[in-house]
Amino acid sequence: MHNDIASLINSSVPGANASVVNPPEDGAGDSSVLVDSSKIYEVCEFLKTNDKFPFPVLQVISGVDYVEYFEVCYMLASFNLENSYQLILKTQLKDRENPELQSVVPVWAAANYQERECYDMIGVRFKDHPDHRRILCPDDWEGFPLRKDYEVQKVYRGMEVNPEAKMNFEDREFEVRKKEMEADLLKRQLERGH
Amino acid sequence: MQESGIVLAKVDELLSWGRKNSLWPMTFGLACCAIEMMATGASKHDLERFGCGAFMATPRRADLMIVAGTVTLKMATRVKVLYEQMAEPKYVISMGSCANKGGPYWQHGYHVLKGVDEVVPVDVYVPGCPPRPEALIEGLMVLQKKIANERILRDKWVKNA
Repeated sequence: MHNDIASLINSSVPGANASVVNPPEDGAGDSSVLVDSSKIYEVCEFLKTNDKFPFPVLQVISGVDYVEYFEVCYMLASFNLENSYQLILKTQLKDRENPELQSVVPVWAAANYQERECYDMIGVRFKDHPDHRRILCPDDWEGFPLRKDYEVQKVYRGMEVNPEAKMNFEDREFEVRKKEMEADLLKRQLERGH
Repeated sequence: MQESGIVLAKVDELLSWGRKNSLWPMTFGLACCAIEMMATGASKHDLERFGCGAFMATPRRADLMIVAGTVTLKMATRVKVLYEQMAEPKYVISMGSCANKGGPYWQHGYHVLKGVDEVVPVDVYVPGCPPRPEALIEGLMVLQKKIANERILRDKWVKNA
């Protein structure tokens, strides 16, 4: 099914560069279709309206930070009784400073909140979104919490986020010290063995 | 006494006795602790036995705030406003680990306030995750003892007069 969809996209949306990504043979995961980020709106519109594999339902939009690039996944589905199927559509954004995608709200209205969450957590901006603001964090929050290089702000509206007096740093470093002690023990045992 | 219909008591003690047996909590739940708080108010455990069952839907008519659940930083500003809207004298019970000290979010919870006592003064802390209704009732009884020992006329009016 994925190969059919990829070739359908390639023949109907020029420049989409759709390719099928399969999971490694011994690894877990699902096959997905990777498309070019500049053509995401055209691809989504085509996937919803085509006759062969129509996808009337958008289930999830989620962003992933792979450090070298951001990946945005669209999980599409058709709950047709005779022929129900799902598709994971992925696109990659190489620009870390200003990741931007075309909004697909005109295609699926369900994308509205999903894109807002993706913006809130990862910081991907969605062009022409009707209501582009944060959804979970407060409007005046700084930074995007699910980025790998995220560091939480010290103070929010006069409230200390991590008050020093309340953080039990001994507990926090317990695991680190435990590992050091274990490594030390192993070293001594090896020395004794020689 | 039954015949004459006269009861002798100090005004202060009588006031404290009356206040401790008619605490009006605010309808205010934040997370899973709120489910236990609802169970405490429902028929099986029945908070009303202790004169604390009239959950008010407005802070203006309540004098006890049970902070039941995780206080996020976004909610903390609202919690503070709600507390300030309550009429004096007012009391706060911090229910559950999250409201006490951030709970499981104490290390990596970027969005969680590390204890509601950062924004409002807390009278009684009830530990647990979430505390059973019995624990909340004990917390309430501790608060009632505290109120019974208050001398509000002597401390606030007579001294300042």
